Amino acid sequence: MAKPAVVVVGADKGGVGKTTVSRTLLDYFSANNVPTRAFDTESPRGTLKRFHPDITEIVDMTTTADQMKIFDTLNAVSPSVTVIDVRAGLLSPALASLRDIGFLDAAKAGQITFAVFHILGPSIASLEEIAETAGFMGGAKYFLVKNFINDTQFFQWDQATYNSYFHRIKDATELTIPKLNEMAYEQVEVSSVPFLKFVANKGINDEAANYSFVLRGYVRHWLANVWSEFDRIRLTDIVGSKPVTRNSEK
Amino acid sequence: MPATPVYIICSPRPQVGKTLLARLLSEFLLLKNGNVAAFDVNLKEPSLLDYLPKVTETADVIDTYGKMQLMDRVILDDGVAKVIDLGFHAFDEFFKMTDEIGLLKEAARRHVAPQILFVADTDRASARAHEMLRGQIPRMNLVTVDNEYVVRGELPPAMATGRLFRLPALPGFLKTYIDRLNFSFTGYLRREKDSSTELHQWTRRNYIAFRELELSLILQRS
Repeated sequence: MAKPAVVVVGADKGGVGKTTVSRTLLDYFSANNVPTRAFDTESPRGTLKRFHPDITEIVDMTTTADQMKIFDTLNAVSPSVTVIDVRAGLLSPALASLRDIGFLDAAKAGQITFAVFHILGPSIASLEEIAETAGFMGGAKYFLVKNFINDTQFFQWDQATYNSYFHRIKDATELTIPKLNEMAYEQVEVSSVPFLKFVANKGINDEAANYSFVLRGYVRHWLANVWSEFDRIRLTDIVGSKPVTRNSEK
Repeated sequence: MPATPVYIICSPRPQVGKTLLARLLSEFLLLKNGNVAAFDVNLKEPSLLDYLPKVTETADVIDTYGKMQLMDRVILDDGVAKVIDLGFHAFDEFFKMTDEIGLLKEAARRHVAPQILFVADTDRASARAHEMLRGQIPRMNLVTVDNEYVVRGELPPAMATGRLFRLPALPGFLKTYIDRLNFSFTGYLRREKDSSTELHQWTRRNYIAFRELELSLILQRS
């Protein structure tokens, strides 16, 4: 049986695109035939649940009962990959809880694969969270995700500032999520389907839809760029699955 | 059933004859098929809309909404041939978009046949643009238009390979004649009893060339 893998997606600021990244991860795993379950901590009404209702459960990570629901079942159930979309502002407290219950030690001991996608916002305050989060990352894969939701530059124009945040943490890997056309994003929002289904012009129940060809094209192009980042970090290897040849690559 | 053709007449340069070609082609398609849908993507140049108001609508590719309005229409396999007169200002943005959204793949899926008619010029911008198109567009979908009035000699070698469409030059006085807003090529063919006139022969030659272009499209796809 594959080693269980837990992927935490979090941010200490709201509105940086955390759940968008979670959605691209779920689509990526789906396209690579990696059985996945997801937990959405935006209790009681979760965005992730809206887009991936069949595999997502809403939980409240501050309650012991829901912590048990997630972590006590890691070894017991398939699928072996768990994605947790942590509510904005709760990344560090969530990691502290994982440390307290021994989860981080289990990851360090190699019993569990643990990866954190830390979604960054373009503010100094957000970047300062990197050091705080990095303190929990022994034994885990730590990904710093620059999500270009607008024309922010993440201080790339100021090398000294950029290096002081992004190159400070050893073994942290940067990921770049490019900007998605705003209208395309909005149409996906309205459709309430995963990105993959939107590109395939399908509705919630797989019925034929009538989305704009232009917007589907923009989403396809964007998703391909995002997935090429996941390919670059060998995400399927990290979670213990073999990559498959996706339809778009045939 | 043949695929629905979409002719995209383009150049990164102004005043090379795009609108003239769009007029000719639209009138040919209207004569042959009974209908055509023409799209005028121009800001300030004398425009197709002025010449063929009944079959032309304006379009733009500046913002996403404009792109959707144009491309979601153009990708339909409704049997109505489409002609896009793509203004020089929109050249880069249009082909950046078509590359990103995968126009050619989607067109193939939907039984729509885009034909890029690139009106050549001898300057560097045209050379760069043609090179870009050669990289993006399959050979069977790219036609280089040699407008003799503009090129005045040999086409640059890189443009002379591939499919060519020659647009012979007209004498200056005839050019002035056809530039009038109320001039119709088909109307002229019907009205002018003397088929030996230069304009009559020029128009018929171009209409025959368009028919050959259509036939080559059908042959490629069969």
